[in-house]
Amino acid sequence: MIGIFGAGIVGTKVAETLAVDLQNQILVHDSNKIVANRLASRLGKKRQVVSVASRFDLNSATIAVLAGPPPHSSLAREFIEKNISVVSVSDDVSDCTNLLALDTLAKNHGVALVVGAASSPGMSGLLARSMSKSFDAVDEVHVALHGTGGPACARQHHRALSGQSVGWHDGEWIRRPGGSGRELCWFPEPVGAYDCYRGELPDPLLIKKAFPELERVTARVSATRRDRVFARLPQLIPPQAEGGMGGLRVEVRGFRDGQRWVEVIGVVERVGQVAGAVSGCVAKILHHGDVKLAGATVLGDSALPNEKILHDVIDSGVQVHAFVRA
Amino acid sequence: MKVIRRVLLALSVASAVAGVLRFKGKGVGAIKQGGWRKIIDQK
Repeated sequence: MIGIFGAGIVGTKVAETLAVDLQNQILVHDSNKIVANRLASRLGKKRQVVSVASRFDLNSATIAVLAGPPPHSSLAREFIEKNISVVSVSDDVSDCTNLLALDTLAKNHGVALVVGAASSPGMSGLLARSMSKSFDAVDEVHVALHGTGGPACARQHHRALSGQSVGWHDGEWIRRPGGSGRELCWFPEPVGAYDCYRGELPDPLLIKKAFPELERVTARVSATRRDRVFARLPQLIPPQAEGGMGGLRVEVRGFRDGQRWVEVIGVVERVGQVAGAVSGCVAKILHHGDVKLAGATVLGDSALPNEKILHDVIDSGVQVHAFVRA
Repeated sequence: MKVIRRVLLALSVASAVAGVLRFKGKGVGAIKQGGWRKIIDQK
């Protein structure tokens, strides 16, 4: 039995991904019962596997997908203490750090805790691992994200531009103000080119955990002038129900055949849909028992079947494009 | 008058330097040409 905590944009996609070929029951919980009921009735008609559950009912699940807004660390701790594996889509730096700190607890209980199983972080780690196979040695990973998922993701994007970005640079963690370090990043069409800036994003922390050998890791997020000017103020305009077409761009640098080499892969899809597909596919892998994990892990870590997860994500309709030189 | 001339001189020197960097400078390792190819899962 798999429990989904949150029935928003990401939670809905998680349920859809799991309901495609899973015969086991899926429990959905949301603080807004109407939203959870709507999702269960829509998916439940076809397969009769999705049902609404209370917070207490989720304790009977074997895997819990935390698809609501962060923080997830306290919720994850509760589930782990009940011997339930956890997949978190959190994109908050401090929350991800707190989740990683639950490693020992998860190991003691013999359950898996997958941190940052979303678009960025999450999909970025999967793509970096996939690309790293065509290199002799990898030393740099640079991630850029365009777009937002649901309202919680949009609020996080707003906070990210006013916070402190973290990056790994030549053997040390560096902190720079969010909204600085403009770089024009090209995403696959129809997204195209956007100016991207440093932000308080957890990607460098998680990618560095998956690839300890890296010398440089950065993460940037696209923003307009208005986003940067108003980032220090409370979010005055309420976010939309779901952002438009988003993009993710992962650039890996290293050595191949003794030469410096660069590979770029991009994803075009609404960010919330990618996040839901990734976390759903991770939950499916854990449920099938394809991998026996205990402790906190991140996508891209060699302990996970990253290629299988990436295949499943592409199968679920996420478009991945490789940059090819002319 | 002297101040105006100095300002104009400074601006013209700055524009010349910016122009040289803009048109003669090259990014380190930047990919200049290419396009995107969709990856089809071959399981």
